[in-house]
Amino acid sequence: MLKINNLHVKLEEEDKQILKGVDLEVPAGKVHAIMGPNGSGKSTLSYVLSGRDGYEVTAGDATLDGEELLDMEPEERAAAGLFLAFQYPVEIPGVGNMTFLRTAVNAQRKARGEEEMSAADFLKFVRAKAKDLKIDADMLKRPVNVGFSGGEKKRNEILQMAMLEPKMCILDETDSGLDVDAMKLVSEGVNALRDEGRSFLVITHYQRLLDHIKPDVVHIMAAGRIVKSGGPELALEVEHNGYADILAEIDA
Amino acid sequence: MAGVDELIAKEGVEEETVEAVKSLAGAYKYGWETEIEMEYAPKGVNPDIVRLISDKNDEPEWMTEWRLEAFARWEKLDEPSWALLNYPEIDFQDQYYYARPKSMEEKPKSLDDVDPKLLETYKKLGIPLKEQMILAGVDGAEDMPAEGRKVAVDAVFDSVSVGTTFQAELKKAGVIFCSISEAIKEHPELVKKYLGSVVPVSDNYYATLNSAVFSDGSFVYIPPNTRCPMELSTYFRINAENTGQFERTLIIADKGSYVSYLEGCTAPQRDTAQLHAAVVEIIIEEDAEVKYSTVQNWYPGDENGKGGIYNFVTKRADCRGDRSKVMWTQVETGSAVTWKYPSCILRGAESQGEFYSIAITNNYQQADTGTKMVHLGRDTKSRIVSKGISAGKAQNTYRGLVSMHPKAKNSRNYTQCDSLLIGDKCGAHTVPYIEVKNNSSRVEHEATTSKVDEEQMFYCRQRGMDEEEAVALIVNGFAKEVLQALPMEFAMEAQQLVAISLEGSVG
Amino acid sequence: MSTAVKMQAALISADARPASGAWLADARADAASRLAAMGLPTRRDEYWKWTRPDSLISAVADTAEVLDYEGEEPLFSDVDRLKVVFVDGVFSAEESDALEGEGLEIERLADAAAKDIHWAKDLYGVLETRGQTPVNRPIAVHNTAMATDGVVIRVTGALSRPVSLVYRHEDANSDAILHSVIRLEDGAELTLLENGPAAARFSSVLEVDVAKGAAFHHVRAQGRDHDRQAITHVFARVDAEATFKSFTVTVNGKLTRNECVIDIVGDNAVAHIAGAALGDGAEHEFHHDDTVFITHDAVACESRQVFKKVLKNGAKGVFQGKILVKPDAQKTDGYQKSQSLLLDDDASFQAKPELEIYADDVICSHGSTTGAIDEEALFYLRSRGVPTPIATDLLVLAFLADAIEEIEDEDIAADVTGRLDAWLARRRG
Repeated sequence: MLKINNLHVKLEEEDKQILKGVDLEVPAGKVHAIMGPNGSGKSTLSYVLSGRDGYEVTAGDATLDGEELLDMEPEERAAAGLFLAFQYPVEIPGVGNMTFLRTAVNAQRKARGEEEMSAADFLKFVRAKAKDLKIDADMLKRPVNVGFSGGEKKRNEILQMAMLEPKMCILDETDSGLDVDAMKLVSEGVNALRDEGRSFLVITHYQRLLDHIKPDVVHIMAAGRIVKSGGPELALEVEHNGYADILAEIDA
Repeated sequence: MAGVDELIAKEGVEEETVEAVKSLAGAYKYGWETEIEMEYAPKGVNPDIVRLISDKNDEPEWMTEWRLEAFARWEKLDEPSWALLNYPEIDFQDQYYYARPKSMEEKPKSLDDVDPKLLETYKKLGIPLKEQMILAGVDGAEDMPAEGRKVAVDAVFDSVSVGTTFQAELKKAGVIFCSISEAIKEHPELVKKYLGSVVPVSDNYYATLNSAVFSDGSFVYIPPNTRCPMELSTYFRINAENTGQFERTLIIADKGSYVSYLEGCTAPQRDTAQLHAAVVEIIIEEDAEVKYSTVQNWYPGDENGKGGIYNFVTKRADCRGDRSKVMWTQVETGSAVTWKYPSCILRGAESQGEFYSIAITNNYQQADTGTKMVHLGRDTKSRIVSKGISAGKAQNTYRGLVSMHPKAKNSRNYTQCDSLLIGDKCGAHTVPYIEVKNNSSRVEHEATTSKVDEEQMFYCRQRGMDEEEAVALIVNGFAKEVLQALPMEFAMEAQQLVAISLEGSVG
Repeated sequence: MSTAVKMQAALISADARPASGAWLADARADAASRLAAMGLPTRRDEYWKWTRPDSLISAVADTAEVLDYEGEEPLFSDVDRLKVVFVDGVFSAEESDALEGEGLEIERLADAAAKDIHWAKDLYGVLETRGQTPVNRPIAVHNTAMATDGVVIRVTGALSRPVSLVYRHEDANSDAILHSVIRLEDGAELTLLENGPAAARFSSVLEVDVAKGAAFHHVRAQGRDHDRQAITHVFARVDAEATFKSFTVTVNGKLTRNECVIDIVGDNAVAHIAGAALGDGAEHEFHHDDTVFITHDAVACESRQVFKKVLKNGAKGVFQGKILVKPDAQKTDGYQKSQSLLLDDDASFQAKPELEIYADDVICSHGSTTGAIDEEALFYLRSRGVPTPIATDLLVLAFLADAIEEIEDEDIAADVTGRLDAWLARRRG
């Protein structure tokens, strides 16, 4: 599904290398987690994959189902099935959440040569999905993310994910700012979307999210590279010993 | 879940909007021209032309005199230059001041006489089917059930009102809705009393010219304690080349009455600029309320700034009675040059004025628009919400006045002016004047200028929208407060216009 | 012949202008011809519609009685400073300190004028001329032609003590015209203090050139003599990484118009202008006008305008402020705040806070409010036992606080607040 090959990335406006050769492969239907200390380049990876401005790829490539990702515009990547759940979902005053969702759903359908969804079908669709995530009608009417609590914002991200049915989902620190109940709700939403044809890349600083979203593979990222990969037990090791031990082990 | 049901209606509207936007695929929608044989007065303006216009309209002597006096004043005035507008000097003698379809030479006795090409025009303008039929004079059309809400239409084609719908039904309610030329003949006592009483003959250069040469327009009188049974609407259409359009609208809302009035404007695509100088006067008596909504979509010129309408408009509402209320809502997307300041004179105690505006300029368009809130009476309130969007090489200026006179005790004003810039070749300007002469009143003014937020753009694009779609969505959000102030039909049209007007502004 | 015409006629003859060396004589002649071309201000001018220029341009200044300060120490008395004193616009050698200091070249304009060549040639009337577009400021041009004295300062390092210009007023009919030129070289720092009524009528021009990385701090207090009039202009050019900060406090004065024209020409520069004005028109007229024009012509610069006025008994306040952002001045952060507190029904405030923006990547905003004192806050204080007059003054000081906070030096800021507090207390009796 997602293949990242020797990816080197620097900041566009500064001479600062963030990613220094990331290699990663997430097969279809799998959940991979990336853990790592602050500043290791986790969020940068998610932004580069989704096409945010401000980064320059100096070497390497990334493909989604064999398609070269890095040459595409952000909306083309989205249409190709890449979804990023933002660490800090953006507020858009004046734009109703519903309008936003429908515009996005129909834009992607159009890009894939599918029929646009009628207003009635869309409404049915969104209501069903919203109910699963305990998102009430009021939240759908309010402007996108404006005045939402931290938990509401993250639930809203998962709702969008559910509506857009991407094949590759990147969750960037989805657990940040969530209490236990909210984390459970969000995780259930994600787990409900797990499917043979859909892969996840879960970026997180802490292990606790991985109690709810069980990964197949855990990668440790440090200083712009994947330094260690293993099973779910690797996350527990981090939880118990912190990053220092693992990093020391690698340096040695 | 009542909330969700509400949602359906609202979402339904927006769905249609999105579809409509897509079907329009770009170019100025109203850029066609109707080939109709026209009758012109000779080019230029002088007392003879003024007399001719008055004569063509069969006007009484007092009206002719009124016009001639205006003309004499106009000759002594200079064109104002204070607005942030830059356009080639207008040769006022190189314009036609009167044009009307030849088929109108004999005023149609019934609407059957209306030229079929005119009717084709209404269709293209999107005038509702029933109104088209009425304008076309189809037998029994008036008695047919209207689809959805009824809107009475007065259509002004170049200089002449070509037909007004639903007159009979309105008459039953005591409402007078007709062309102003008809009103001058049929209701001279009302016209004499009110014409020029809000916008005096010598108010400003363009209004004075209008007073001399206006050829037609709409007239509305709502009797006391009457809620106008339907929305009233005028469609203005400039068709003939090199022809100035000077329409005059007079609306009188008598005590305790209510009316909502809609105005739409379009013009064909032409390489040479055309002049439009209208005057709208509104008189609002005690406890009466008028809502005046405009979607101005005159031809804006092409992407190189060629052609387009020069739009110089004087609109003013006089809240004479206590507790009277006026609400101006405008969506200004058209015209090469816009010079327009719909204003409120808050004379009556506890009277209220509101101004909601969206002005979008793209390519080489220039807009200098805003409002005046003149608080004269005690406990008066005003609210200004202005959203300016500038793209391409356009210049967009908000210019406004809020004035609290010494006697306007306990009055309030709140002003919010926001400007959005799309691209680095355009300009957005804010020129507010604030004058406060008593201390029990409170004036608050806030203004911001920024560009479309990059984070918001990326978020939308990550969800699959292309740049233009994302910009249209964000801009509609930015202008939400104003769009919500419009009647439903206009809100739809306005949303489409936002998207269309901004085409080509990104990337 | 109207007074305005007389004033212009005087300028036409070179003899009428103060005697000067070649460099200054040229600048004066140039100003005289510019003024002849533009004419004096009239009420028809857009920027004079709210302030009558008549008494500022009349041939003879209106009389202003000298206020008895009853032994009150003038502001900045406690500050270690280099003091330069002018009495009714005339330099006082005995009251002034020696004009010298480390990292500092300072002399009187009258002395510099005597020389044929002077570095000040590159600034005198030069920034003023730049400041004439797009809005004419004829009284500043007049000042350039006619100024009798002033100081010329060049700073090369960080000065250990402020330069303090003290303007005393002794003659009820004095008419002073002073013009000072200040150049801060790269990385230099100067605090300039100005205080005092100066004269019955005072025309002042300050041209300030702040080079790369330099910092200029300006604190000014305009004397409390009731009938004095002042028309001041500050023209500044602010280069990259430099800081320009100016604060003015005004209490009393028949007519004050403070114009400030700031050109930000280098990237990452900062310019702040603030003012606090209090006027009571009960026994003497009070009219206060702040007219500010900030041009952003560089990338990533910040500008702030914070103006507060407290007005009562027919006192009049005017604010005309503009932020102009030129096409390539991206990442501009501009904010403008003009607020007035009207303490009774006779006071009036007129404002025109303008934005003119030709670059897209900017954050510019302004806020303006006008109204009476917050009744709820007043009631709250009274419910805690504070009598209305004291509560009102407390709220007045609170209202002025964010303008006063623009003063960089905390001691001076505290002194300004303390004196306003004392002044309010004396008026309460």
